[in-house]
Amino acid sequence: MRYTFAILVGRMVRMLARLRKTGGGSAVPGLVVNRLAPGFLAYALTSLPDGLVIVSGSSGKSTTTKMLVAILRDQGVSVFTNPSTANISQGITSALLEKANLAGRISDRVAVLEMDEGHGALLARALSPHTVVLTNVMVDQIDRFYESEQVGDLLDRIAACATRNLVYNADDALLLAIAAKAPKGVTAIGYGVSASVLAQAPRGLGYAAQSPERLVTGTVVTASASRAVTVSINGEALSLTAPARGIHYAVDAAAALAAAAAIVGADFDAGAAADSISSMEPVFARGETTTVSGEPVEFVLVQNPASFQLNVDELDPALDQVLMAIGSDVRDPSYFWPVDLSALPAVTIASGSKVHELALQLEYQGVTIGSIVPDLSTALDMFFALPAPGRGIKTVVFSADAMRRTRSHLGLV
Amino acid sequence: MPDLLDLNGDAQNCLVLAQRARWAGIDVRVETIDVGETPEGGIPQLVVIGSGSEAGMPAVLAGLHAIEDTLRSWVDEGVPLLAVGTGWELLAESVQIEGGSVLTGLGIFSGRSVPGRRVSDDLVVETQFGRMIGFENHARHYLPAAGAKGLGTVLYGVGNGGEVRPTIEGERVGASVGTHLHGPILAKNPALADHLLGLATQGRYEPSSLATVRVDEIARAARNAIAVRLGLEAE
Repeated sequence: MRYTFAILVGRMVRMLARLRKTGGGSAVPGLVVNRLAPGFLAYALTSLPDGLVIVSGSSGKSTTTKMLVAILRDQGVSVFTNPSTANISQGITSALLEKANLAGRISDRVAVLEMDEGHGALLARALSPHTVVLTNVMVDQIDRFYESEQVGDLLDRIAACATRNLVYNADDALLLAIAAKAPKGVTAIGYGVSASVLAQAPRGLGYAAQSPERLVTGTVVTASASRAVTVSINGEALSLTAPARGIHYAVDAAAALAAAAAIVGADFDAGAAADSISSMEPVFARGETTTVSGEPVEFVLVQNPASFQLNVDELDPALDQVLMAIGSDVRDPSYFWPVDLSALPAVTIASGSKVHELALQLEYQGVTIGSIVPDLSTALDMFFALPAPGRGIKTVVFSADAMRRTRSHLGLV
Repeated sequence: MPDLLDLNGDAQNCLVLAQRARWAGIDVRVETIDVGETPEGGIPQLVVIGSGSEAGMPAVLAGLHAIEDTLRSWVDEGVPLLAVGTGWELLAESVQIEGGSVLTGLGIFSGRSVPGRRVSDDLVVETQFGRMIGFENHARHYLPAAGAKGLGTVLYGVGNGGEVRPTIEGERVGASVGTHLHGPILAKNPALADHLLGLATQGRYEPSSLATVRVDEIARAARNAIAVRLGLEAE
């Protein structure tokens, strides 16, 4: 009953936070409990009978985690997981508070956690995960991580804590190097794409460093066309539908399949696992079409330079109406400049708190801007008041912060 | 070496210079010199070198040493050079990297870069080209030789660091400019771009096209957004 007091306090804080703001305050209870009972997080997570799985990496960790959880649940395993917005220590503790009993125990069999690279590196040792899944290293959040080698070091520290399986993206050279020195007794399990799938992405998959060779055996994406994906698991081809279009989602599916096979072991049902992924809800702003005031709209989320480039390359080059918004989550938009936006003929409205930096990039890259409207709500109202486009559908390209504001302004869930 | 030195879009300063010259009716050809390549096609009018990762520094330095004589002859001829971040550090006397070992640079700039505290924040510098605003992200102080000329005085941020007050940012040697201001700094601070283009074209360049005026108005708004956030006066 060591943590009963802290848990009660945490629940009270959560209640107060929710009174103050509906749906809000998700990190605060975790923050309080971590301060009050620093051992609670590790205590709760290490007490699950089938142990703990950590998913980390620059991008794709949220999708991979969701896929892995769906597969495991469909195969009858009860899983504890954290929402993707709660992948740092206070968020994970808040998520635990939702499920833990007063003794600090979770009733699920296994925990599958998405973890931020920095927080994961600090927490992993105390959590001793049996399986670590690493997605990739991309140039991301430069103001926080400075450079990709540093992200590689963080993931290396997480990988070093795995006790049974290290599931890694074999197309990522930095992860390949980490896997090569997996601890004794830990099985390194690679996944990746075939040479022909890689050839579909002329600028590469956006990893900081790409491995020189493709995987031949193991879990390999052998086809990816829109949302239709074929994954070969040791030579056996599986068809599935990814929750969004693009090679990245196919790669996430391969990661989840490889991890699930390693976790479940001999009883693993690959066909059922593929069905679990296919029946997932489409991911918002990941190449899915949404309806706003009766009109179809495509929302495209930009998370880092690599995803920005891939997403823009996948857009119809003759799109009529594009709104592009970069918000305050992008501390210094300089690092987007290597992204070549010149394939876009025009951006109808540029917006967001970093709109002027975005506009400079568009101007120098020769992309015409219709109007610059810093206030996102105004920009959205203007954009949706436009008559239906002559070509393609209305397309909104935004950073994470601009996405949150857009969803709340338009009342989209 | 844009493959290694475009971490923050620093190599895109080249695009900024080229576009501004084109908008002024000047024909431009941009040439890339990658590691292991020898420059071809005579003396350029402008040289830009960007910033890269710590791990990439030895490879960049080897590439620079291989073309050292050519590069030095250009600078001696008065070809303006803009160097950003690690590219600048490697063109100076020396860089002490993590672990203590010292890389000997090309000595085009005078300074030694020595370990300092990590800074990743806005950087505002009062210069001859007006108040320049950008971002710095480095973990070294830059110690120039006595009597060296800086790019300007730091109004917000760390810049070269060290003990000198007021703090100086960057270094100017002849027509060359080195700075911690990373990314496409010439887009946000076109006065420096126009100074470099003026030198490169012996005064033939005029920043008066419609495109230039429009873009520079956006640049002013971008600088003001940061200045206001930092509690500085808007332009």
